[in-house]
Amino acid sequence: MAAKDKMERLLEALHEAGGLAEGTAAKVAAELGVPEAQVYGAGSFYHLLGSPDSRLRVCTGLSCAMRGGRKLLALAEEAGMPVSECSCLAACDRAPAMLRERSVLVDVEPADIEKADGDWRAVQGSELPEDWRGRVGPDDSELPMNLGGAQNFTGSALAKACEMGAEAAIAAIEESGLQGRGGAGFPAAIKWRAVRAQASNPHYVVLNADEGEPGTFKDRELMLRRPDLVLEGLAIAAYCLGASDVYLYLRGEFRGPWSKLEKAIEKYSEEGALDGVTFHLHSGHGAYICGEETALLEALEGKRGMPRLKPPFPTESGLWGNPTLIQNVETIACVPSIIRRGGAWFKALGATEPGTKLYSISGDVSEPGTYELPLGASLDEVAAAAGGYEGELLAFSPGGASSGFLPASESGRSLDFASLSKVGSMLGSAGVVVMNTKSDIRESVREQLVFFENESCGQCAPCRIGTRYLREALDRDLQGSPSGKSLAEVAEVAWEMNEGSICGLGQAAALPLTSALQHFPNAFGGEKS
Amino acid sequence: MSETLRLNGKDVAIVPGESVLELSRRVDVEIPTLCHDPRLKPVGACRTCLVEIDGMHRLVPSCATKAAAGMAIDTNSERVVRHQKALFALYLSDNVDAAETDDTSAPSELHAFASKVGAPTTWPKMQHKRFQRAGDRNPYIEYRADRCILCARCTRYCEEVESVSAITLAARGSETTIATSDNRSLLDTTCELCGGCVDVCPTGAMAEKKPLSLSLLPARELEKVRTTCNYCGVGCQMDLNIDRMANDGRGVVAKITSPDAGVLPNDGNLCVKGRFAYQFIDHADRLTKPLVRGEDGELAESSWEDALRIASEGLKRVAARHGADSLSFVSSSRCTGEENYLVQKLSRAVFGTNNVHQCAAT
Repeated sequence: MAAKDKMERLLEALHEAGGLAEGTAAKVAAELGVPEAQVYGAGSFYHLLGSPDSRLRVCTGLSCAMRGGRKLLALAEEAGMPVSECSCLAACDRAPAMLRERSVLVDVEPADIEKADGDWRAVQGSELPEDWRGRVGPDDSELPMNLGGAQNFTGSALAKACEMGAEAAIAAIEESGLQGRGGAGFPAAIKWRAVRAQASNPHYVVLNADEGEPGTFKDRELMLRRPDLVLEGLAIAAYCLGASDVYLYLRGEFRGPWSKLEKAIEKYSEEGALDGVTFHLHSGHGAYICGEETALLEALEGKRGMPRLKPPFPTESGLWGNPTLIQNVETIACVPSIIRRGGAWFKALGATEPGTKLYSISGDVSEPGTYELPLGASLDEVAAAAGGYEGELLAFSPGGASSGFLPASESGRSLDFASLSKVGSMLGSAGVVVMNTKSDIRESVREQLVFFENESCGQCAPCRIGTRYLREALDRDLQGSPSGKSLAEVAEVAWEMNEGSICGLGQAAALPLTSALQHFPNAFGGEKS
Repeated sequence: MSETLRLNGKDVAIVPGESVLELSRRVDVEIPTLCHDPRLKPVGACRTCLVEIDGMHRLVPSCATKAAAGMAIDTNSERVVRHQKALFALYLSDNVDAAETDDTSAPSELHAFASKVGAPTTWPKMQHKRFQRAGDRNPYIEYRADRCILCARCTRYCEEVESVSAITLAARGSETTIATSDNRSLLDTTCELCGGCVDVCPTGAMAEKKPLSLSLLPARELEKVRTTCNYCGVGCQMDLNIDRMANDGRGVVAKITSPDAGVLPNDGNLCVKGRFAYQFIDHADRLTKPLVRGEDGELAESSWEDALRIASEGLKRVAARHGADSLSFVSSSRCTGEENYLVQKLSRAVFGTNNVHQCAAT
């Protein structure tokens, strides 16, 4: 086995060995000829390997916490089950969610814990883990992703792209104005051109399906309902870039999406529609940071998921040092429609920025789910698609934990890349969490800070220390610090995290607290509350 | 003509291939670093060396940025200074107080730089969550998590310089720590106890187990005397750290450190013997004069002149009686190449036998 193949197998081999129990690192090290400490160090980075699957994990993401996640945690503890909390499971629309081994259980009720009679393996959600899906908008063939529509395995968009030629296909992507849907909003066509222009070979295409931003579950829904679009989009990218190997990196909890993609690959293979492309499915093992593109590459290479310094960018030096295109699931799923209907058609669908956008909305709305709306829809419009608000709106998080909180007065603002950055927030992954006046903003901030503290990779000090610093400061404030100055250094720490951190996680991780301090100053300050 | 860039408003010629950090240090512009070591690939993880470069949106790590013609670099702009103060304040709030570092085996670079950049020391102390394996039974090296800043100099040194990979960064986030596989003792890993991890550590988190109480002075006040290691013929340079007043004024070697990277032949590296096996220096059993066995069969102190005379007479007597091939010469593994050459010359040319060997050769 080549050194590269050994490293690519490292984390999977550790998973097969049962995760990091005594002796397993040595076993994997012997099998692969890799230093044992390296295996141990890599494995201990990933929560699903470092503390193996022999327990329940209760999601304490914001939406699950709002729907009783912490109560489930307490009940499971009382029942004597092995249980711990975990970061957002991307099932916010079916909150509260739990993880049993690697299966996500949804709509869990206290009765489900009681019925299991102390046996954690017997806990069930409302539906079988492999069957459940989320709520989406109605079938509409005019929508590029049309989550409610039927799957299509003809490969006609790829055929058309081949007919057009790579240059013309990339020109269509450029004309569409498609921006990366993973959070940064970077124009897709620029990345495609950058990889295509690289002289060194091979080129790789990587799908970022490590969806973990709290409040976000759109990629999950896309893979559950339209794996055909995802795979065809990847094949078109591979054709345009001269790549033949496509890597799909799914978070480890995505057993449902995994099996849907596997089936779709099989179906395409039967049809012979995407010949010439080899799909490599890779499972994550519990690390939000691997949604950061260079951390994802490190994970694919069997290492600790610590982001790389940029430059060089992956388009120049990515997977195994080769030019690599990395795209979010939603970005790539827009591609087939753009090729079929044209860039201008896609661009015109947007409200303030090009195209449609999948908004995941959860929290205090009647019908949490994934809704495909013109990019730039307002919170009021997204909430209307989701059956309307429940209770009186207090605040919302427009694009995952990294986007912080906005007050109810911003509910008419366009949820797009430009207009949200104007108010110090961001569209991010468009995982919208709605909070009504029954919510406690300080508790909500705390859930987000705990998330970042747990999910920081630990590589750079501003993020590793800063996230903990903020959480400890908030805890002092929650306890009613007598000096009333517990938040004195928060602004400076937040400034430093943004200036000094290597990657986007640390740069944004202070926003939940700083935005809440900006918009809800009276909620803080110890005895004042 | 060589290419130039502007550093803090002055034109500086670039040496091809150097980083912004290397260039700055070459012209005596100081930039703090914690994770940097010239022997290691730059990782830009400690963030202390960030500088401002015109046209770049973010502050960039000077260690990992190549100097390029036309750059305008500022190493002490308002933004850089603010960043340094806040960053070091965070490090300090997550670490032990400066006064506590006197017992560590080297002066704390963290506290020295923090004081140099004027970082506030008043931020509340934090609860660290770094796991520390207990009771590692190796005799030399211990890890003290409360002082660790996760710069990973130790783990990278272990992998990149020594190719040993006994220790690793483990866990993540606030819980990130330095560990061995399954938290075993270093004796049960690939560790060769070279102590390089102790040497590269900027905070004393990787420390020598033997207490510095041998010496009365804190590490930073010990006198360093450069010498050549005598354990083998490589000729490694090393520094004896001496407290002249200890031991009732007789002085004591409190510990051994490596010189800076770049000092040849060992480039700052030492092995377990060179770094840790120095207790013989003041040991009561150490031979400081030659011993000669007398007629009565007992060993007695003698002079070098006398001892060499007796040895040469004995060798010549055996050769005369039994022939040169009844002799065999085996030189010590502590001999240098030149000394080994002389031994074989003595054997082949002086006595006329090819029975000559070097004990490290088998």
